[in-house]
Amino acid sequence: MTLNIIKKINNIAKEINHEIVIMELCGTHTEAVAKNGIKKILPKNIKLLSGPGCPVCVTDQKDVDVIIKLALNNIPIACYGDVLRVPGNLVLKSDKGKQNLSLNLARELGADVFEVYSTEDALKLQKEKPNLVFFGVGFDTTTPMTADAIKKGLTVYSSHKLFVPAMQVLVDTPQLKIDGFLNPGHVSTIIGTKPYKKFKLSQVVAGFTGEDVLISIYMLLKQISEGRAEVENEYVRCVRLEGNPIAMKLVDEVFEMGDAFWRGFGNIPNSGLKIRKKYEKFDAKVKYKNILYRNTELVEESVKETGCICGAILRGLRQPKDCKLFNNKCTSENPVGACMVSSEGACGIEAKYLA
Amino acid sequence: MCLAIPGKIKSVNKKTKVALVNFDGIEREVNVSLVEVKKGDFVIVHAGFAIQKLTSRDAKEISDLLDGK
Amino acid sequence: MSIPKSFNKNSSISLELGSGGKASWEFFKDLRKIMSYTGKWKNTGDDGAVFDLSPIMSVQDGSMNINSGLPRRSAPRNDNLRNDNSRNDKLVFTTDAFIIEPLFFKGGDIGKIAMCGTINDVSVMGAVPIGISLSFVIEEGFPSKDLEKIIKSIDKVSREAKVPVVTGDTKVTEKGKIDKIEITTAGVGLAKNIISNSGAKSGDKIIVSGNLGEHGAVILSHRFNYKIKLKSDCQSLVKEVQSVAKFLNVCKDPTRGGLGENLNEIAEKSKVKIVLNEKNLPFKKDVVAISELLGVNLFAFPSEGRFIASVPAKDADKVIKKLQKFNPEAKIIGEVEKGKGVYLKTAIGGLRTIEMPQGKLIPRIC
Repeated sequence: MTLNIIKKINNIAKEINHEIVIMELCGTHTEAVAKNGIKKILPKNIKLLSGPGCPVCVTDQKDVDVIIKLALNNIPIACYGDVLRVPGNLVLKSDKGKQNLSLNLARELGADVFEVYSTEDALKLQKEKPNLVFFGVGFDTTTPMTADAIKKGLTVYSSHKLFVPAMQVLVDTPQLKIDGFLNPGHVSTIIGTKPYKKFKLSQVVAGFTGEDVLISIYMLLKQISEGRAEVENEYVRCVRLEGNPIAMKLVDEVFEMGDAFWRGFGNIPNSGLKIRKKYEKFDAKVKYKNILYRNTELVEESVKETGCICGAILRGLRQPKDCKLFNNKCTSENPVGACMVSSEGACGIEAKYLA
Repeated sequence: MCLAIPGKIKSVNKKTKVALVNFDGIEREVNVSLVEVKKGDFVIVHAGFAIQKLTSRDAKEISDLLDGK
Repeated sequence: MSIPKSFNKNSSISLELGSGGKASWEFFKDLRKIMSYTGKWKNTGDDGAVFDLSPIMSVQDGSMNINSGLPRRSAPRNDNLRNDNSRNDKLVFTTDAFIIEPLFFKGGDIGKIAMCGTINDVSVMGAVPIGISLSFVIEEGFPSKDLEKIIKSIDKVSREAKVPVVTGDTKVTEKGKIDKIEITTAGVGLAKNIISNSGAKSGDKIIVSGNLGEHGAVILSHRFNYKIKLKSDCQSLVKEVQSVAKFLNVCKDPTRGGLGENLNEIAEKSKVKIVLNEKNLPFKKDVVAISELLGVNLFAFPSEGRFIASVPAKDADKVIKKLQKFNPEAKIIGEVEKGKGVYLKTAIGGLRTIEMPQGKLIPRIC
């Protein structure tokens, strides 16, 4: 089967006979591409570009800072393991010099920080730590879990984002030359395939095995060579036209749309999810506003330029190897930017899998 | 951007909306409030929640797509 | 002397320094920059240090039989050392500290791990362990019953592996000062020839003594509320390693840091490239499943009773046959080539690197 697809990809690439740029929007796809060594298989004129689909990477540093402030003010924090090592703007001054604070470092300083696999685990933890705040990070796939937990009484700091508005920004970026999108499989599991129809670009919703990715690339090349700009679905075992209506209804009940800051993109209108007033007693932004808008003594804000080009990388304008910090000042042990921290970040993956 | 893994439902508690799901030999309790499922169904699980019931549609449709039109 | 990086860059010690992988390794190298006096000991960068006894033995008595000098009469007799014409005149010395959550798990407990871990560190250097020291630090209020269970399991490993516990110590701290119990061990063994980490040669086969990562899978399952049928692979390796020791160019037990860290270490120290084939990876489906569920690196899963080795191609089948008597899953997983780094040929025909794992195994959702 696989050999057959590779052959088909090679044939159609030869037919097309000029460079094709495909953006895999989702970080899990970037990882699947690297893990399976797909870039080494593809013909030379087919280029894959990583997109912004890594929630950790696009989380605004201000959000990280706020959570750290809470943690340093004795508020226990629960979070997904992904965000533990992301450095924010807050700087810790000690005799050893300055260090950008991450939740991990806050924990070393004595803060109560717990990594959880599920909001259900956070709810269990809340029984022992009644003041617990859950750091809600993630796109459309992850938001329903947070909504469910809020309804069950978990206090949340929401940094949740909607993915489609970011796609709009990419489509509207004139410098970005993309021939097709590999659309995110699990976001689509929740939102369905309809919301993508407005983009006049060849798109395929893809699954996550090596084979899924190859088949999807083939489907995309076929569309491109035939001049079609449609939304096709390779991940049919999981993704339906209408998505998961129960999940979408739940999200709508608890959250409302608002502007959100994305690292690398800046403000994207109507791309963020705020907790509705009805649930404000579980909204950490309301509950702890005294702490959030007060400076702590331990830390000071720093907006020093690091030279990190995460932003351009997330928008597909640059690649990890274009960054002068890559594998130099910025390594996976000592990340400067979020793209290096996350298992799904383009830089982290490049450093990890590609020789 | 979102890891999710398929598993098979071994039992469902309809009241608590919690199901025991088997992933290739590993078992875990999973929240199934976002899907309508019964014992024997396959689901895709993200962060402790089943987010969709899987169908066996894919193989045939995809091979049609590849070979056909 | 400039202050090494690990101490300079962070104001406090992070969990990563103790979790295997790159950070631990750097930390260890940095420690060695400060504690640099090693006297007459060799291999101080390996899992165990080596002291060559031959000068002492030849001065005292050319026929001295070091094998009979076993301490403590009541301890199980050490029958591992076979009488042989050539002498076991390399002393191997290793130490290890054990903290584990949970203390009791499927297939073992902290006592069993402490014993097996120490025995194995000595064994994989080609030595036969002759004695172990064992110290407890126990938190006030720790249940006596649990301690008894741990000690019984230590005794069981000791008798089965025929490696006596010869000395030890116990301290009790006030409640809250440590978490339940901590065990520190040291082990000594004797070897004719030391198997180091730097002996892999281009053309060798990389073999495993069985499937890997089952210990890691059991511990992670417990921590994140999964049920798993597998048991920890925790066991002593004395007999397995000894049965093939003379064929091995490199031998390592992939505990902390798993296959990824250990192969990278072998490749770096031996100055070779290692290429694995995804189709031959030594992981059971349950282990793969938990790695995918939690989004943690499969290649970092620890084993506590397996070894990986680099073996000349001509001996590989022989070695596998011998090892399969202990564990039918022993097999060849890859090849050693000229070059550097560790690579994986993927099932769909691609190629990628297997990197040195990073820090603690933390679950993720994206």
